[in-house]
Amino acid sequence: MALSIASLSARKNMWPWLLLAPLAIYMAVFFLVPLADVAVMSVTEPRPTLANYERVLTTALYQRVFVNTFATAAIVTICCLIVGYPLAYLMANSKPRTAMLILLLVTMSFWTSFLVRTYAWMVLLGNNGPLIWLLRAIGMEQPPQLLFTRFSSTLAMVHILAPYMVMNIYSVMKKIDPTLIRSAESLGARGLSLFRHVYLPLTAPGIANGSVLVFVICLGFYVTPVLLGSPREQMIAGLIGNQIDEFLAFGMGSAMAMVLLFVTLVILTIYHRRFGLDKLWG
Amino acid sequence: MNRFMRWLGIAVVVFIAAPLVIVVPMSFSEARSLQFPPPGYWLGYYRAYFTDVSWLVPTWNSILIASATTVLTMALVVPATFALVRHRFRGKSIADLMMLMPLAVPHIVMAVGYYSYFGDLGIVHTHLGVILAHTCLSVPIAFLVLSANLKGFDRTLERAAQSLGASPTRTFIHVTLPILRPGLVISALFAFIQSFDETVVAIFISGRGAETLPRKMFDSIRQEADPVIAVISTLLFAAVLIGLTAPLLLSRWRGRRARIGTG
Repeated sequence: MALSIASLSARKNMWPWLLLAPLAIYMAVFFLVPLADVAVMSVTEPRPTLANYERVLTTALYQRVFVNTFATAAIVTICCLIVGYPLAYLMANSKPRTAMLILLLVTMSFWTSFLVRTYAWMVLLGNNGPLIWLLRAIGMEQPPQLLFTRFSSTLAMVHILAPYMVMNIYSVMKKIDPTLIRSAESLGARGLSLFRHVYLPLTAPGIANGSVLVFVICLGFYVTPVLLGSPREQMIAGLIGNQIDEFLAFGMGSAMAMVLLFVTLVILTIYHRRFGLDKLWG
Repeated sequence: MNRFMRWLGIAVVVFIAAPLVIVVPMSFSEARSLQFPPPGYWLGYYRAYFTDVSWLVPTWNSILIASATTVLTMALVVPATFALVRHRFRGKSIADLMMLMPLAVPHIVMAVGYYSYFGDLGIVHTHLGVILAHTCLSVPIAFLVLSANLKGFDRTLERAAQSLGASPTRTFIHVTLPILRPGLVISALFAFIQSFDETVVAIFISGRGAETLPRKMFDSIRQEADPVIAVISTLLFAAVLIGLTAPLLLSRWRGRRARIGTG
């Protein structure tokens, strides 16, 4: 009897493993192995040394790309916050119909491919585009070059990543108990002080979520900076791409990729310790 | 404060909407390069898209790859999600983390890995290679959607079926699956879209042999900004618009019909 219960519970314990096994094996073979391949290449190509890392971390050119990437990611995150916070506020505090329309717009932007939105900014900011046309119309003789600058790639990334920020903040704002605001008002909180001492702290988790997500995605962004950015002010993902498809320098490319991965994982681990990673995308 | 937030909000709405709207008039433009406002309107670039093999083949490749990716992803994720949501076992937290890992790794890093690894396996520039890579990237998204659905599942319904004499298999087929169907459909749809839109890994590993639509668009934007891209952008945008509004309109229409029916 005791034996059969033991074997039964053992069989019951096998179930989750059987269900999980195909995916676990798949991920090991097609996710972990290629990832490990990058790690191995970074120290073996072309010779087994740490020279690649030394070059990546000490060359002035690459250092500039790293600094540039961090600065861009920070600027994009701040801009997304400036753009996303009022929009989330508008969604959470409008009549249902208006809120619905804004939600539809944000989801539509979210689901429209990165490439389509990048292309759209190319149209908007191009030398024969509507913005330059507008600048000429209001009397500017020589409008500045907008496309293929740091400005254009930053602007497009803000547009592309803003929905992540909006969604995260909105989901927090929606849950705020309106009685909290009313009781704060009844206690005399008004305007800016109501916002600073009541509303802002209540929405802080959404801000933290959205900012981490936007920052991390921006660090590894490839498509938009490559297509819209200035070739002289690359970001790290573009640099990695160059190493692979132009110079076939797999060692250097892999070492840079490992540095990018390391930084990303450090940020996410800190976040995971404090909030739990599953909440970030959920 | 309120009024300030409101005006800022409206400005932001314009900022979000403008790039989505701009591609539509551009797709009907006669201009050979980017020019706004368009000098004239025609449908020539639509004809160009639907007759040009160099655009149709990547489109077909993308549909094929995204479909296969969806099937493979769901086959792997559905059982695994049941295991992770409904069972407790040792190593579960590691398994949970593993499901989400692909979201944490920048795609450019994976692109380098796949380029070299699939090169060794001899499947770089093939449909199979892209499908295998895309499946890894679709797994976390399908898992997040499905596990959220499964966590909200009311298990008393299954117990009720079993207490009425249904076997576990029958219960699964006649109770569990029908209730989970919306979650399964959305999860599969997300997996499909993830693969269909994926650009970075595809740029590096799809090559000429299995060129996907995003890869073709990327190359085209980089080289010449072919006006056909505006056509594809408009079509993709229309697909998103229909995909998002159709369920809403359908449920409203059904609701109205139901009210008329009962009233």
